[in-house]
Amino acid sequence: MLFNIIRNDWRNLRADRSLWIIGALLAVLIGYGVHNGGAWVRFQQDTLTQAAEEEAGRLTLIKTSIESANAGRANPPSWRDPRNPFAVGNTQAAHYVSMPPAPLAALAVGQSDLLPYYFKLSLKSRDTLLGNDEIENPVHLLSGRFDLAFVIIYLFPLLVLALSYNLISSEKEDGTLAMTLSQPVRLGTLAWGKAGFRALFILALSTLISLAGTLASGVNLSAAGASPRFLLWVAVVAAYGAFWFAAAVAVNALGRSSATNAIALAGLWLGFVLLIPALLNVTVKALHPVPSRVELIQAMRVASDDITRQRSQLMAKYLEDHPEFAAATDDSMAQYAIRTAAILDELDRRVQPVLATFDEQLTLQQAMVDRYRFLSPAILVQSALYDLAGTNLYRYRHFLHLTEQFHAAWRTHFEPLIARNVRLTPAHINSLPRFHFQEEPFQAVFTRTTAALAGLGLSALLAAALSAWWLRRYPVAA
Amino acid sequence: MLEAQNLSKTYSGTPALHPLSLKIEPGEVYCLLGANGAGKTTTINLFLNFIEPTSGTALVNGLDVVQQPLESKRRLAYIPEQVMLYRNLTGLENLEYFTALGSTETFSKGQLLAFLDEAGLPAGAAEKRVSTYSKGMRQKVGIAIASAKGAKALLLDEPTSGLDPKASNEFSALLKRLSDGGAAILMATHDLFRAKETGTRVGIMKHGRMMAELRTEEFGHADLERVYLEHMHD
Ligand SMILES: Nc1ncnc2c1ncn2[C@@H]1O[C@H](COP(=O)(O)OP(=O)(O)OP(=O)(O)O)[C@@H](O)[C@H]1O
Ligand SMILES: [Mg+2]
Repeated sequence: MLFNIIRNDWRNLRADRSLWIIGALLAVLIGYGVHNGGAWVRFQQDTLTQAAEEEAGRLTLIKTSIESANAGRANPPSWRDPRNPFAVGNTQAAHYVSMPPAPLAALAVGQSDLLPYYFKLSLKSRDTLLGNDEIENPVHLLSGRFDLAFVIIYLFPLLVLALSYNLISSEKEDGTLAMTLSQPVRLGTLAWGKAGFRALFILALSTLISLAGTLASGVNLSAAGASPRFLLWVAVVAAYGAFWFAAAVAVNALGRSSATNAIALAGLWLGFVLLIPALLNVTVKALHPVPSRVELIQAMRVASDDITRQRSQLMAKYLEDHPEFAAATDDSMAQYAIRTAAILDELDRRVQPVLATFDEQLTLQQAMVDRYRFLSPAILVQSALYDLAGTNLYRYRHFLHLTEQFHAAWRTHFEPLIARNVRLTPAHINSLPRFHFQEEPFQAVFTRTTAALAGLGLSALLAAALSAWWLRRYPVAA
Repeated sequence: MLEAQNLSKTYSGTPALHPLSLKIEPGEVYCLLGANGAGKTTTINLFLNFIEPTSGTALVNGLDVVQQPLESKRRLAYIPEQVMLYRNLTGLENLEYFTALGSTETFSKGQLLAFLDEAGLPAGAAEKRVSTYSKGMRQKVGIAIASAKGAKALLLDEPTSGLDPKASNEFSALLKRLSDGGAAILMATHDLFRAKETGTRVGIMKHGRMMAELRTEEFGHADLERVYLEHMHD
């Protein structure tokens, strides 16, 4: 029975030009989206490579400068002396900490073009948040580029609806419904057979095209964690497609005309894909505003002024807290280093509350989105896809966390060198701490994405249940 | 066998069919006559379980069509006034599909073509798209679908409207054959001549009510027309 329905539907679709148009459109959109994402990833990788090269060159230069200074060929002022641990730790050997694009980053640019993916780190206060004044909250859907995630969230539903808005209504309008239902066939079998077949068809098509595009754009699916992420990606898209097909069946089950169905479904699309996300976005921003960059700079300025005025007290206090530096106080370079360290410490302390608010508000925003994303399948899909691509706030905050840890390690590394007034050698430069980005554990991504997947599945089931209910009272003859 | 037991249908307070009791035995051809809006299609749709009865039951071979919709439809064939087919498929593909849905038997292409030929579809049309068919050609595919199903009960809603006289005549011959084979046939029609020719009984309906039932062998053509028109007056 089902086989006959599917074969017949296939024959009809095959004879109809719209299927080929939809297929071709899908291929073009997916191809263009993946291409865009791939270009962005390559740009990031190139930038990181350039940064690493610049840094390597700089370190080599430091080593040769150390040698010439030692040989007496050069006599740099102490604040620029490559043997001075403060000068090296604070500027000369500044290290790029970077978050390389995740394996599937090419599939969703997400927020990664708004968030920094590398910092030049030195002894200075952490200024990681200063570099980016545009941290967007997680539901800023329209900020996205034309990437695969955009195609899936916005356009894929439209293609699904183009294939399903008149699933039953057209048969009723063409009169074939009465012919079919005079045979021993349930309306439900017909509706789900057609919807299921079309869903499988478009899903297989989009998976194949995505896979081809993904591989073509240079994504390495054998990279660690890449293939389970890709499988989850496909599952999320499948669940999203299932939701829209079920919604189309539900609307069809009301027994209205194809034109009415098209309008109703366009309305649903508008609501779920544009309106609810926009409303959530506005609400999240209003309830948990992130301090602006101006506020942060203002706080820093006030702090600096204060600190400059109380320089000597600060230094005395700093020396109290760090008795190990006391021995070095007669060297002018060390004096400068200690004073700077004291000032930076204080500045750090003063700006901390603003930074903390920043972090807190972002956390609150994320928490709110995590809670209310279940209001719209589109938000669920977006959160899951960005998560799988590693272009969301979660991975970014993980990166910030690692950066802070590294910053502490960098200071810990240099402080004793400064305190003991050690003269650096090339060996010191070779053994500087290096930052290695560690991916967030897959378990965390998995938990968040499967929650979204469950939400999507539930929405699809709800729509299917409504369909089943309405199909039973479908007016075949009227 | 087709049977209606106090079968009625009311649309938001307006009765479309007053309680109707009717029994059509195997071998009988029952013709429903009546003006537009008399309730003929309503009766047929109730047998098809396309609409829910307000009261009473419709039985096909003793099976309640509401309780056992699939089992009863296995025994039914239906030809509407407009046989609507999948336009982009050929007549043969349409026949293949509906036959596959309706019967447990699988037919070869040759057998399917024979059904179409028997129904009077011009040779060569079977493998053309239905969108190129005339109305009469589509009716003939409908007839082929019904006869391939070998149903024990036929519901025909003005099946010959739009058929040319020759096709209409062939259709009558086909009906005769099916009814001789033991099918119970219910046919709504406006064609008094055909009703007298092929029907064994006629029922005249008006405003959802069965006004008169006659056996066709008991009167001539002229009588039928007179009785019909009498009932239509008021
Ligand atoms: N879905 C509906 N809602 C309300 N009234 C309806 C509906 N379908 C039919 N009717 C009414 O039921 C009555 C019987 O209609 P029906 O279609 O059975 O007539 P008919 O005898 O088949 O007429 P015709 O010769 O024109 O085909 C009509 O008055 C019609 O207006
Ligand atoms: Mg009618």
